[in-house]
Amino acid sequence: MHLGPLDIDFILTILPNLLMGALMTIKLTFFAIVFGTIIGLFVALAKISSIKVLRWAGGIYTWVIRGIPLLLQLMFLYYGLAFAGILLDEFTVAIIGLSVCGGAYIAEIIRAGILSIDKGQMEAAMSLGMSYTQAMRRVILPQAYRRLLPPMGNEFITLMKDSALVSVICMTELLRAATLLQNATFRPIEIFVTAGLMYLILTTFFTAIFNRLEKGWQFQTGNKGELH
Amino acid sequence: MIKAQDVNKTFGQLQVLKGVSLDIQLGEVVVIIGPSGSGKSTLLRCINHLESIDIGNIFFDGQSVAFQEIPGGNRIPVKRKDIYNLRRQIGMVFQRFNLFPHMTALSNVMEGPLTVLGVTKGEARRLAESLLAKVGLANKANSYPSQLSGGQQQRVAIARALAMNPKVMLFDEPTSALDPELVGEVLNVIKDLASEGMTMLVVTHEMGFAREVADRVVFMDEGMIIETGTPEQIFSSPKHPRTREFLSNVIRNYDNHSFPQVV
Ligand SMILES: Nc1ncnc2c1ncn2[C@@H]1O[C@H](COP(=O)(O)OP(=O)(O)O)[C@@H](O)[C@H]1O
Ligand SMILES: [Mg+2]
Repeated sequence: MHLGPLDIDFILTILPNLLMGALMTIKLTFFAIVFGTIIGLFVALAKISSIKVLRWAGGIYTWVIRGIPLLLQLMFLYYGLAFAGILLDEFTVAIIGLSVCGGAYIAEIIRAGILSIDKGQMEAAMSLGMSYTQAMRRVILPQAYRRLLPPMGNEFITLMKDSALVSVICMTELLRAATLLQNATFRPIEIFVTAGLMYLILTTFFTAIFNRLEKGWQFQTGNKGELH
Repeated sequence: MIKAQDVNKTFGQLQVLKGVSLDIQLGEVVVIIGPSGSGKSTLLRCINHLESIDIGNIFFDGQSVAFQEIPGGNRIPVKRKDIYNLRRQIGMVFQRFNLFPHMTALSNVMEGPLTVLGVTKGEARRLAESLLAKVGLANKANSYPSQLSGGQQQRVAIARALAMNPKVMLFDEPTSALDPELVGEVLNVIKDLASEGMTMLVVTHEMGFAREVADRVVFMDEGMIIETGTPEQIFSSPKHPRTREFLSNVIRNYDNHSFPQVV
């Protein structure tokens, strides 16, 4: 059975391999988002902290990570660590690399989100006797959260696409699964069109989730416009 | 109750408070007036330690707000815990309300007791409901700040501060951000508090209100207290030329829409 230039029967035979790859892509993205967000939150808090050393450390971190290609960071982690005698499996290296990289971008997003909240909010919270941590948790972050959703959604999609880079350290995710099939069968059209469609489905699905979250927030506060 | 001694505060090059001393007794209502930029907000913010002070000290209930004297004549900043504890006892109402926009009016009022005092949800809710009723907003409990008028928002903000059962209330130009027709409803709430005997320090440009509720009026200019007296003294026979000048300007600029009985 053919659909234009695409041999559907062939696609069906490669589908299991590609789906396995897609599953790995989802796994990598999931862990990268979770750990990247945790890293990003702490780095953002460090960067707006009143403690100089923390601000400084946070600044160096985002400066270095955002200034070097992820591909290089991954290679450095994988081959560099192995060279230094630290042996980690590909999956661990991939998660570390993606989380550390995503964390730097997410930190900037969260920092900007926190700084966009009116100073009066922190003061009002403080004047009730809240500690800094309580004020952050109860007042600032819930408001920043809503502003963070759109840029975070973008960043998560970027992370998903960037996860393709871990194919260079022999992680068999969606792109590497496709490449391996290509090497074995020399049928690039079917393979890459199918893999591309899978990425597209994943990113579309992600976007939809984030749109949902944003809408839900507006409903919850009865506020259709900006916060004020 | 509150005792400020020779308070000095500098922002960079700018000396905002130049040796301010002020004593507020239990149950007293003190109104601070003065031109914009004279340091009124800064003084209020120093009292609950939203700003630190450079020289001098402030005592709340006999306890130092800013510095702890240690043997040898040195002083160290007070501990963070003590600052939090201090702020719990001092209610603050801001010019721009600063309600939490992601919470309903009820949740705004519940927030302090719930998070800071650790009371149960039911208790916080009962307290918040009664306070909203007190400021005339029982029917707005489930509205978000964006759905309330400025006057209503400010009344919720007052209820939020009262929920901590403070010993003192600080008001920083509570009606300056309001449309003229909404000023009265907020001032009435503050007047009720005054008549209940709440100790209050109020910065305002509403001279009629000051005259009516103040036990004492303080005129500040350029970081200094220029003149202090009863409303009668300050408004009818100000001693200092700067006070006179300020009052005549205020009457011209702020018009007497809400309180026509100004001087
Ligand atoms: N955080 C700050 N940093 C620098 N300057 C400030 C700060 N807060 C207030 N000022 C300055 O201090 C002066 C007094 O301000 P403020 O206390 O707000 O006066 P008022 O409330 O009487 O209008 C003003 O000149 C203001 O610009
Ligand atoms: Mg002011």
